[in-house]
Amino acid sequence: MMMHEVWKLLFKKPFTNKFPAKYAPKNVHSYLRRVKSGKVKLVPPIPPPPNFRGKIQYDIDSCVGCGLCAQVCPSKAIEIVRDKKWIIMHCKEGATLAAPLKIKIYVSRCVFCAQCVDVCPRKCLHMSDEFLLANEDKLSRDLIIPGP
Amino acid sequence: MSENYTIPIGPLHPALHEPITLKLEVSGEEIVGVDIFCSQVHRGIEWIGMNRNNAIQSIYLAERVCGICNISHPFCMVDAVEKVTNIEVPERAQYIRTIIAELERIHSHLLWAGVAAHEIGFDTVFHYTWALRESVMDLVEYLTGNRVTKAIFMIGGVRRDISEEGAKKIKEGMRFYLENFHKIEEIYLHDPTIRMRTRDVGILTKKDALKLCAVGPVARASGVPKDVRQDYPYAAYADYGLKAITPDMYNGEVHGDVFDRIIVRLLEVKQSVDIINWALDNMPSGSILAEKNLVKLKIMLKKAEGEGVGRVEAPRGEDIHYVRLKAGEEPFLSWKIRAPTYNNVLPWIPMLLGGQIADVPIVAASTDPCMSCLNRVTVVDTNKKKEFEITKEYMHEQSIKKTRRLMRNGQ
Amino acid sequence: MASDVLTLVNIVVGTFLVTLFGITFGLLTKGVDRKLAAHMQWRIGPPVIQPFRDVFKLLCKESIVPRNAVSWLYNMAPIVCLASTVTILLYIPFGSIAPILGHYGDVILILYLLTIPSLAMVTGGFASGSPFATVGAQREMVLMMSYEFPLATTVIALGWKISTLNPSMPVFSLETFAQYPVWNIMGPLGIVGAAILLLIMMLVTTGEITKVPFDIAEAETEIAEGLFVEYSGRNLALFYLADAVKTVVMASLIVAIFFPYNLSPLLKDYLTLPSFGCYTMDFLFYLLKLEIVIFFAMTFIRVSVARFKVDQVVKMYWGYLTLAAIIALVLIGLDIYIGGV
Repeated sequence: MMMHEVWKLLFKKPFTNKFPAKYAPKNVHSYLRRVKSGKVKLVPPIPPPPNFRGKIQYDIDSCVGCGLCAQVCPSKAIEIVRDKKWIIMHCKEGATLAAPLKIKIYVSRCVFCAQCVDVCPRKCLHMSDEFLLANEDKLSRDLIIPGP
Repeated sequence: MSENYTIPIGPLHPALHEPITLKLEVSGEEIVGVDIFCSQVHRGIEWIGMNRNNAIQSIYLAERVCGICNISHPFCMVDAVEKVTNIEVPERAQYIRTIIAELERIHSHLLWAGVAAHEIGFDTVFHYTWALRESVMDLVEYLTGNRVTKAIFMIGGVRRDISEEGAKKIKEGMRFYLENFHKIEEIYLHDPTIRMRTRDVGILTKKDALKLCAVGPVARASGVPKDVRQDYPYAAYADYGLKAITPDMYNGEVHGDVFDRIIVRLLEVKQSVDIINWALDNMPSGSILAEKNLVKLKIMLKKAEGEGVGRVEAPRGEDIHYVRLKAGEEPFLSWKIRAPTYNNVLPWIPMLLGGQIADVPIVAASTDPCMSCLNRVTVVDTNKKKEFEITKEYMHEQSIKKTRRLMRNGQ
Repeated sequence: MASDVLTLVNIVVGTFLVTLFGITFGLLTKGVDRKLAAHMQWRIGPPVIQPFRDVFKLLCKESIVPRNAVSWLYNMAPIVCLASTVTILLYIPFGSIAPILGHYGDVILILYLLTIPSLAMVTGGFASGSPFATVGAQREMVLMMSYEFPLATTVIALGWKISTLNPSMPVFSLETFAQYPVWNIMGPLGIVGAAILLLIMMLVTTGEITKVPFDIAEAETEIAEGLFVEYSGRNLALFYLADAVKTVVMASLIVAIFFPYNLSPLLKDYLTLPSFGCYTMDFLFYLLKLEIVIFFAMTFIRVSVARFKVDQVVKMYWGYLTLAAIIALVLIGLDIYIGGV
C-alpha cells in the first residue's frame, strides 16, 4: 500500500534539486542579472562528474589543421577555415605567406560525443565541465569556437 | 448506447509519448475494433547512415535512434560492423559493454515502471520510481560522461575503462538497488489499486505472442522464454549463463496480462543487478580497444566488404541491425534497423480488443513502445481483414501527385 | 416593506461576499492541495498562489469554440456550472455565521443542487462535439448516478436520528445539525455508524470533485481531460473556478454535518471577546476544519491510489459504499431502538 509511504514522504525533504531557484523565476534574464550583481544567490547545480563531456575547448595554437576531427564529427559541427593570422609557410616552392588551416566549432550543432577529442593527433581539443549552454541564438558568440 | 463510434488516439495524445495513431471503434466503453497507423515519425536515419556518414559517425547516429535504448542500438550496429570487418573485441571491453547494457536495462525498466504508473493515474509512484532511478543515471553519467547519450561504443571495443574507483561506485549503486528493491516490489506487486488496473488487462496469449512475433518482456510475460542473451549470447552473457525470466518464476502462473509484464520487468531489474555484480567480480584485465588508432580503423573500415547482422536484447526486446559494407565506400551500402517496438505494436490488437477505453494507455505503455525507432509504413485494416505495405514506388507516385497538385495550386 | 428591502440588500451583498470567499478560498485550497500532494510525491510543487496565476492566465486567453460544437450551449455550460456551485454555498453556514439563504432550503435541496454543476459539465461535454468529450460526459453521468445513493443515505440516516430526539425540528436543516452535533447524540453503535458515514462522505467528496481515483470523466492519460478537452480560455477558467468552489462546498458540507463545533462556546469561560472576535475566531477555526477535511478527502486519497476504471468506480459506489451505507443505517437504527427503549 502506498498510503504509509506517502505519509512518510510528507515529512521528508523533497528529492528535487532546487537549481537554479526553488521556484522558476519570472524572467530568466533579469534573474541572471540579479545573480551577477549578487542580489540573489543561485542554488548550485549538482556538480558534474570527472570526465564529464561538456562544452568543447579548443587550443588554436597547437592545432595543425589536419581536419581529422571534421571527418569523424557525426553532426558536422566542425568547419575547416583559414586562420586570421598569416604566417610564413615553407614549402617546395620556397617561403610564402599563407593562412594556415584551423577549425571552427559550432557548439549549437555539437552532440558532445567527444570523438574529435579522441581523434586529434595534437590533443588540442578537450571537453570542459561547462554545460549551461542554452541560448536563443544558435550563432551567438558563446556558441562558436574559437570566438571572434 | 448501441451505436458504435470512432475515437482517435494519437498521433498526439497524452497517453502516447510519441506519435502513433490508434483508431478505436468503441461501443460505450468497450473496444470492438482497433486500427493502427504507424510511421508518423520517419527521420531518415538509415538514409543518413547510407549516404552522409562514415561508420564511425554512424555509431553516434545509431545512438540517437532511441533516447532510452541508446546503448542497444550502437551496440547492435557496432556488433554488425565488427562481424563484417572480423575485428576481435578484447574481453575486457566485452565485460564493460555488458555492464553498461545492464545499467541501461535497469534505468529503462524503472523509467517504464514510472510511466506505466502515470498511465493509470498513479502519479506518486511515477515520481517515486523516477527518484529511485536517479541513482543509476548518476552511475551512467559517472561511467560514460553523460546521462543520456553515453557515447561509449567504438568499433572494436569501448571508449572508456572502468577504474577501481568506478567499480566501487557501481557496487555501491547496486547495493542501493538491492536494498530498495523490496520497496519497488511492495508498490508494484502488492498495491491493490495497481493490481486492479493491470490484472487480466491486455492479455496476450502464448499462441498470439508466437504468431505475432512479440519480443522482449512482452513475449516473456506471455510465457515465451525468449531472450537474445540466452538464445544467442553475445558480449559476456555466455559466461554468465543467463536464463530468460517468465512470470511463472515469481508466482507459478502465466496470465500474459499487464501485471505479468510488470513482474517480468521488475525481476529483470534484479537480474541486471546480479549480472553487473558478477561482471565486476570477473572482469578480465587487458586493453579495451582492438584498434587504438582511429585513422587506421577508418582505413580498415573503408577496405572492408561484406555483410553482418547484430542482435542485441534491448530493454524492450530483440534489436537487429543489418549492415552491408562495400570496399572503397565509407558510408554503409545498406543499413537496416529493426527496433523491438516494430514487433510489439501488432500485439496491441489482440490486447486491446474487448477491453475498455481506460485500458488503452496502460496496454499501449505495457509494451514500452518507442515509436521513433519504428519506421516502416504498414497499414493494417482489421475491419476489411486487409494488410498492405506502402512501397517505395507507391510513395514516389504519391509525392509526384502532390507536387503536381501544389504546382497547380501555386499558379 | 423596509425590512424586505433590507433583507434583499443583505442577500445581494451576502451573495457577493460569499462568491468572493468561495473563489478565493477555493483557489487557495487548490494551491495548498497541490503543494501538499507534491510533498507527498517527494517533490517541491508549485507555489501556493499558483492557481490564482493559472486562472489569471486563462482569463487573458482566447476562448475557442470548435466548429462542430453547439455554440450557445457550449458557452453557457461553464457559467451555469459556476453559478450553481456558488448557489450551494449560500445554504451552508460558515463557522458560527448563519447561511444567507438558510431559511429557504435544507440538505435535501443541497443534494439536488449538487447535481447541477455535474449536469452543466455533461451538457458542455456533449455540446463540444468531440469524441473524447462525449466519452467524458458519459463517464461523468455514470459517476453522478453512482455516488448519489450513498450520499443520500448518509444524510437520511443522520436526519432520522435527529428526528427521534426532537420531532418538531426541521430535520434536514443544517442549523439543526449544528444544534445537535452527530457525535454528541449517538450511542456507541451510532458512533460506529456515523464514522462509517463520515468515511462514505469523504469518498463521495473525492468523486464529486472528480479527483483520482474517481477522475474518470477527465482522465488525462485516457481521454485527454475528457469533458474539458475542447474548452479553453475564459470558459476553462470558469470550470476551474467551479471546481475550486465545489471543493469548498463539499468540504463545508462535511464540516456542517459532522463537525459543527465552534471554538467560541468552549472558550467563553476563559476569555471574553466582542461578538466580532467570536465570529472571526469561529470562521478561522472553520477554515482550519475545511483544510483538514480537504486534506483527507482529496489530497491524501488522490496521491495514494491509482485511477479506477468506470466499472470499478460503479462497483465501488454501488457495491461497497452502498453496502457500507446500509450497514451504517442499520447500526444507527439499532442505536435509535436501544435509545428508545
